Amino acid sequence: MEISLFSAAAQGFLNLLHFKVFLAMLLGVSIGTFTAVAPQGLGMPLVYAIALPIVIKWEPINGIALLIGASSVSAICAAYLPILFGIPGGSGSQATVLDGYPMGKRGEGRRALGASFMAGGMGCLIGTITLAAAIPAARPIIYLMGSPELFVVMLWGLSMVAVLAGRRPVKGLIAAAFGLLLATVGQQAQSGVMRYVFDVPYLLDGISISIIALALFGVPSALDLALTKLGVEQQPIPLRGSLFEGVKDTLREWWLVVRCSFVGVWVGIVPGLGSQVVDWLAYGHAAQSCKGGRKSFGTGDVRGVIAPESANDAKDGGDLVTTLILGFPQGVVTALFIVALLAWGYLPGPEMVKKNPEMIYSIVWLQGISGIVGTLIGFALAAQLAKLAEVRYSFMVPIMFIFILMGAFSVNRDPADLLAVVAFGVLGYFMRRYGYPRPAMILGLVLGDLMEKYLYRSMASYGFTWLGRPAVLALLAMAGASLALTLRGRMKARREASPATFSGAMARSEDES
Amino acid sequence: MKADFTIFFLVVFIASAIAGWDWPNIAKIMPVYVAAIPGALLVALQIYRDATGWEHRRGQVSGGIDMDEVSEINLDKKTELRRTVAYFAWFIAGALGIWLVGLVYALPALVFFYALVEGREKWFTALILAACTYALVWGLFEYTLETRWPPGVLFD
Repeated sequence: MEISLFSAAAQGFLNLLHFKVFLAMLLGVSIGTFTAVAPQGLGMPLVYAIALPIVIKWEPINGIALLIGASSVSAICAAYLPILFGIPGGSGSQATVLDGYPMGKRGEGRRALGASFMAGGMGCLIGTITLAAAIPAARPIIYLMGSPELFVVMLWGLSMVAVLAGRRPVKGLIAAAFGLLLATVGQQAQSGVMRYVFDVPYLLDGISISIIALALFGVPSALDLALTKLGVEQQPIPLRGSLFEGVKDTLREWWLVVRCSFVGVWVGIVPGLGSQVVDWLAYGHAAQSCKGGRKSFGTGDVRGVIAPESANDAKDGGDLVTTLILGFPQGVVTALFIVALLAWGYLPGPEMVKKNPEMIYSIVWLQGISGIVGTLIGFALAAQLAKLAEVRYSFMVPIMFIFILMGAFSVNRDPADLLAVVAFGVLGYFMRRYGYPRPAMILGLVLGDLMEKYLYRSMASYGFTWLGRPAVLALLAMAGASLALTLRGRMKARREASPATFSGAMARSEDES
Repeated sequence: MKADFTIFFLVVFIASAIAGWDWPNIAKIMPVYVAAIPGALLVALQIYRDATGWEHRRGQVSGGIDMDEVSEINLDKKTELRRTVAYFAWFIAGALGIWLVGLVYALPALVFFYALVEGREKWFTALILAACTYALVWGLFEYTLETRWPPGVLFD
């Protein structure tokens, strides 16, 4: 029976009123906080990859609470490394270094952190509100979508690999094709044909995406730490100033927060953009639109911290709009989130909006609550968290070994899992070394299975006539237009000059700091 | 090595196309027509780009962003190779250990020896790390959460 969205929202909130859910969210928040400030090499894709084999055996709501808690807070606390150490944090917080580090050196580290937490928390809430508002807005359209339209939506998502692969579009497409190929290993549900099984029983159900993601991201990340034998090279600057000053700055610049949050939401929703650009877009917007910004940005202007941090945190809400409503991922984290939802029996996209709106609203609530908790943690533990960045590699590498091996072995408890994690770990190492984007492979892997399912249903129901459906044609036109526009924008940017590249900006920021 | 890795993909795509060629259409649309054949063509294009240095030239001119992290380790080749081999040796030893003696014993042992030998921690610190690992894999998972880890082949 269909339920109203209001009831779904209420039920979604009631789902969270269990001690275990709260505990899982707190665990996720702790993991996310550690990830944000821990030494190089850790990131949300790795956390999701490690957590996936474990949480898919939990109750769905507990697992979702952990995953959403981790990703939501990771963005809020991502400003530690840029502000205290002068090194870019994870993607999405790189621009913060331009003004955050000069502020820290000037004795305003606490002010910068306060501004980043407050802006991040507000950005997260704006992203969450947008997500909540998008569900009723998209619902009428969703009811018009059948398997053919969903197939085209998946195709749209996959076509974005060419854009997302940045400087290496061909390698991105090769990696995506390899992911699609791997997704077909095992017995095909529709025809019963054994595809690439080679009489090996382990391959009958295909290779677990959890193991592949864990190996692809975990093994090279731990290797980085083992190679450099370092956590964070620099000593942190002493934390001085007042967190409250930063809060006041952010509240005074509320309109900037709102504008940049919507930049973040937009980046999250539009296919083809990613966390690599969100902070730079917001920073660029702020530098151009704020009074005196052209001169003061880059020298320790608090608005240069507020803008990227609010956009980075709002982006998660935008990401979830596409992931939950359309069912295609924007990056590795959302791809792995889709894998988890599929493992729990949910099919993200229109089907989930129709059948499980209360679970979508639980995710919305979790996103908002985690944002608030993360902001409070940031304020409460500002000084203590900085010490986490100094954990030694000799502690970190074995810890990562434990979670990679245990995570992989827990999937089927089959020795072949160990062989798979080693093999894909080596593959991940070579892919990273030779510039084959691993996220493209994960996107191919996740979308491959869904695409095949929708294609089969479309062919079985409509033959080839589904290609002429107006909605299919409209979606194909939109996919083609978005691909063409993004590629055109990139070619234009390429023609316009290389000094404005992100790497150039980073190099300048390093020189300045 | 770069070309070898690209050729690895070529071999996989061609072998996959051949292996799936006789399947009914419904089974081969995705693996053969959508993945393997376009994949092989893309690899051929990539080999051409590698051979002519096209990507390198464009990369220098255009900059741009990367979808994935780019490895930026500044070590001399010999040290990098030695540490990479050592790392994979530890990792494979851990996997082999789990197969032979089971996860409950292999992981604490791996952590102890890694911290002691590779990390050059004091033996007492390594022992504490190993004890924490044992507490996690046995205490939390096997005892508290009743996750039964299979014994290794030596104890089976």
